Amino acid sequence: MTTVEQHQDDTVKHGHRHEGPQKHVVVFIFSIILTAIAFATVMAGGVNVAFTVILLVVMAVLQALVQLGYWMHLKDKGHLMPIIFMCGGAFVAFTAIVTALYWVWW
Amino acid sequence: MAHAHSVKRHTGLMDWLTTVDHKKIAILYLLAGGLFFGFGGVEALLIRLQLIKPMNDLVSAQTFNELITMHGTTMIFLGVMPVIFALMNAVIPLQIGARDVAFPFVNALGFWTFLFGGILLNLSWIMGGAPDAGWTAYTPLSTSTYSTTHGVDFYTVGLQIAGLGTLIGGINFLATIITMRAPGMSFMRMPMFTWTSFITSAMILFAFPAITVGLVLLSFDRILGANFFEVSNGGNPVLWQHIFWIFGHPEVYILILPAFGVISEVIPTFARKRLFGYSSMVFATILIAFLGFMVWAHHMFTTGLGPIANALFSIATMLIAVPTGIKIFNWLFTMWGGQIRFTSANLFAIGFVPTFVMGGVTGVMLASAPADYQFHDTYFVVAHFHYVIVGGLVFGLFAGLHYWWPKMFGRVLNETIGKWTFWFFAIGFHLTFFVQHFLGLMGMQRRIFTYLPNQDFDTLNLVSTVGAFLMAVGVLLFLFNCFMTAAKPKGVANDPWEDGRTLEWAIPSPPPEYNFKQIPLVRGLDAYWKEKMAGNKEMTPAEPLGSIHMPSPTILPFVMSVGIFIAGLGLMFSSEKFNNSFMSMIFNNWIVVIIGLVITFGSMLLRSLFDDHGWHIEPEELEEEGVKA
Amino acid sequence: MTSAHAESVNGSLPHEPEKATLEGRNKVLGFWLFLGGESVLFGTLFATFLALRNQTNDGPTAHELFSLPTTAAATLILLVSSLTSVFAVQAMHRHKAAALRLWLIITVILGLGFLGLEVYEFHEYVTAEKFGMTTSAFSSAFYTLVGFHGAHVAFGVCWIGILIGQLYKKGLTVVTAPKVYVSAMYWHFIDVVWVFIFSVVYLLGKVG
Repeated sequence: MTTVEQHQDDTVKHGHRHEGPQKHVVVFIFSIILTAIAFATVMAGGVNVAFTVILLVVMAVLQALVQLGYWMHLKDKGHLMPIIFMCGGAFVAFTAIVTALYWVWW
Repeated sequence: MAHAHSVKRHTGLMDWLTTVDHKKIAILYLLAGGLFFGFGGVEALLIRLQLIKPMNDLVSAQTFNELITMHGTTMIFLGVMPVIFALMNAVIPLQIGARDVAFPFVNALGFWTFLFGGILLNLSWIMGGAPDAGWTAYTPLSTSTYSTTHGVDFYTVGLQIAGLGTLIGGINFLATIITMRAPGMSFMRMPMFTWTSFITSAMILFAFPAITVGLVLLSFDRILGANFFEVSNGGNPVLWQHIFWIFGHPEVYILILPAFGVISEVIPTFARKRLFGYSSMVFATILIAFLGFMVWAHHMFTTGLGPIANALFSIATMLIAVPTGIKIFNWLFTMWGGQIRFTSANLFAIGFVPTFVMGGVTGVMLASAPADYQFHDTYFVVAHFHYVIVGGLVFGLFAGLHYWWPKMFGRVLNETIGKWTFWFFAIGFHLTFFVQHFLGLMGMQRRIFTYLPNQDFDTLNLVSTVGAFLMAVGVLLFLFNCFMTAAKPKGVANDPWEDGRTLEWAIPSPPPEYNFKQIPLVRGLDAYWKEKMAGNKEMTPAEPLGSIHMPSPTILPFVMSVGIFIAGLGLMFSSEKFNNSFMSMIFNNWIVVIIGLVITFGSMLLRSLFDDHGWHIEPEELEEEGVKA
Repeated sequence: MTSAHAESVNGSLPHEPEKATLEGRNKVLGFWLFLGGESVLFGTLFATFLALRNQTNDGPTAHELFSLPTTAAATLILLVSSLTSVFAVQAMHRHKAAALRLWLIITVILGLGFLGLEVYEFHEYVTAEKFGMTTSAFSSAFYTLVGFHGAHVAFGVCWIGILIGQLYKKGLTVVTAPKVYVSAMYWHFIDVVWVFIFSVVYLLGKVG
């Protein structure tokens, strides 16, 4: 069901309250801003490399989380199992990436 | 809302090709798994015959490499995995009180994809040579520079296809267990076999995509000339080892966890006691699965990851002994004070416990990185993993097959032959592999096709070979038992062991295609036992008698798998130089791949365009069948 | 089990038609599980790329190769298409079949635009920069990771395209609704993967 605290722009005849597009537009703008920060930092150049790497990763993870939560409704009720299995997948993916970064070349 | 859609019921072969019934798919998995298990077994016997005496020349070094590669690959991916899936298909929907799995179509697709992947892999024997780079296909040995036949292509493409089937089978069971449980069956009331299958399916979901990628990379290297593992162009062979073992280590827990589940069903039934420490069993299973993803680099201690990585993975590996130990003690305490019946199923289950402990102990020895430098690539390792996979998993599968055979086929396997099976198999097993520990400690290398005399290897190898043949006798006895039992009339009771605890024993053997006439209400752990103890003969239904919706049979899963099979063959031979110009034309221009993909995606499209309305079994029909029974 | 396939928009279609039947709920859950597996698939591909990103074998490097304006354009297109597929699902929840189809059509067009850019980009690399699959370990890893993503986009475009056709023919029902919902999930997931691709492959490649 829809969350009550969010905007509702209409209520249809059988009494369900629909979430409006506003929330998703906000997520969209937020994603654009995160993307813009990432691109701008790299295009401007001259920023400390280690800082840029961390910034890029943080921006990407934030954007992924917001989109998973709102656009894919992971933050809604009844998504415990999807959350568990997405976290599991992310965890294994993370181990693979750490491995590739530290244990392939030495 | 239309009720009775007419549905075409098939008979004979078409029935089996089009079935979406999980009980029939279970039998298909068992047949296919049994067939491949036979192939792998023959390969094992040939290996042991070659090693029966020093400097033997029964097979060439090349053939020996092919035999060990195919033995490992076949046994793991095509032998025991499908038998596990057979048990899961046969039992899980019944144990959770469901009429069907969540995705019957996907379930059938998983089976056919697995089967065609397995067939493709085994076609290598008659199409220019089997894979010969070991079941781990380590690069650079498996790259086109050092492995020039199509053998490794059969390995990458065949496993890719079979792995796809396993993956979607795993997704089906996860969804089934999450959504299809009967009213009252909370997660903490699920039978242990269902729990372990759930965790195994989750591990399949997270482990198989890694090998999918690994196999893609290796086939790109071999077929498209990519450079992932090509050192001269910047590639890195260690990457393959990591990807393979990030999949490969969870895979061995994928194999063993269902066996843990089987043992946790068989021992309580034949001890007439509830499973000791149920919640600790659940917890231990989850912990093993989690740790299973954290220890892959213990296969790579000698690769040279450095002391920090080796120490971390050493400790993580040793930690696994803790949840496994919890399980062992729980089984012992379940038997403690129980009224144990030594049926064939229970013999295998009880035999499992000490055998698996031995495999576990050598596992902890191998987990110690410095010691592993000595054990690595010797027969000590071979002995270790055969103790856990054969002494653990295969014992578990035999226990499960003897235990659930009446539920699957409506006939009890002959107990006398069953006990002979156990003794031949168990004694043969220990003869074969116990001595291999010492061969390894004495320095005999694995994967070498022969050895020189006068190194004290001769007698132990002879003993090992004799043991292998005793195991083969055990397997043949089991086969004989199956055929003999099949000739007997059906008609065992719902609960042939009389002490059945879980829901599958509350319904007829074999169950009708809708499993439960009415979905049962579950009132506790060991739901059926609980009702029996309350003096009830049947489960309390959770719903009134009503019309039952069933999915329609369909040939599409079979056709889709044929398409993938054709595309796979086309991919492998895409750069082959044929003598025949027509063959060259269709293979070198990717026409075969395209044909295969069109068949597969076309079938997918058909599935999407034409809704499957299914069909219904009406209450009147249920009543009629009730009278008949 | 419900077999409410005959219900149409004019009938009593529930608020969230994708969750109206057990089949629908199973489909959504099953697809989430599949996405969990896909995360590992892409994670492993990213791992491969990260391990091999500097192995250029005297071929073009990431820094020489990538043009950030193209990547930014592709990013914007895919991000907008993700938003339009949100709107499509919202229209579906309101039972506005025409709006649903329109948003899906826009999504498909944007997806095709993204694919066009990617094909153009790859074509430039291969012809102008002499940067092919076999050039270096870096090139193999680049084409495999980005190509896998591109193949997912292509599959998604075909899939949503077919669903649009089904919506015209069958209308919005409890059978078609879960398909739309699941395809939107798939499309969002592709966008999330792209977020990591432009960050890790393109931007990080420029940083060095």
